[in-house]
Amino acid sequence: MQELATKPMQEPAKSVLDELPGELLMWVLIISELLVFGAGLLAFLGVRLTDPAGFAEAQEHLNRTSAAFNTIVLVTSGFLAARALHLREQSKRRSARWHLAGASSLGLVFLAIKVFEYWEKAQLSITSESHPFFTFYYLLTGFHAAHVIAGVVILVLVAWKDDPQNIEVGASFWHMVDLVWVLLFPVIYLLA
Amino acid sequence: MGFVVPGHLPIGIIMTQLLTPLTRAWIALLILSIGSTIVASLADYGLGTTATGAVILLLAWFKARTILSRYLGLWKAPSWNHGFNWVLAAFCLILLGLYLVPALM
Repeated sequence: MQELATKPMQEPAKSVLDELPGELLMWVLIISELLVFGAGLLAFLGVRLTDPAGFAEAQEHLNRTSAAFNTIVLVTSGFLAARALHLREQSKRRSARWHLAGASSLGLVFLAIKVFEYWEKAQLSITSESHPFFTFYYLLTGFHAAHVIAGVVILVLVAWKDDPQNIEVGASFWHMVDLVWVLLFPVIYLLA
Repeated sequence: MGFVVPGHLPIGIIMTQLLTPLTRAWIALLILSIGSTIVASLADYGLGTTATGAVILLLAWFKARTILSRYLGLWKAPSWNHGFNWVLAAFCLILLGLYLVPALM
């Protein structure tokens, strides 16, 4: 009994999952989304094997400049979201909220440019049926845009309910959207 | 109040000290994004598809690594960071392989 009393308390063994920053479920979501978009990109390049010339010709109709600008918009938005978390952890609530507002506004800029891009295609009578390239283009960029919409809503919500844990989860979702885009952009817009 | 910047330090060292790792990550992402677009436009001027494809996907891998490490904070979990880096590298290599198959046929 005395031996038990004098024995130092052992800390429970740390699982490798405990090393992950933030919420475990958010990482499950991030990995799931990467798998879904990753499979989409592999399928895109797989179907391209059947008609590389047609894919190259279809890609010429994309607006590479606006997509590159959108990449800059999204990585800057991610930077603001990451800074918001740092600021909130330093109890700078007001500044953190402004950063979240900036991040979500840039999300809206991304969406506006995306709508312009789709409008440009509509003017050329390009639909998802025009070519398999555009089927994947609309599917992948449209699904990503849906995540951007969800991300903007989440950023507004965590700016309102601004405890650090909420901001961390919201910012992680936003970084996942960012991460998917930096893989989507080169494959769809740049690899001719 | 403000920063006291010693006059004898080179600008590179001063910038490194003033910029946080997060800000440096953001600047790196901007440079990598612009760089990949420039490399893609070089393909229009006759640079080989193998070289441009490899560089574009290498830059994409760097961007993904930066987001995971600095934005998502995986630098605090080195084993996870390495794991993600390896899986993403393998994924980018598969993408490059699929991209280059038509050029090899």
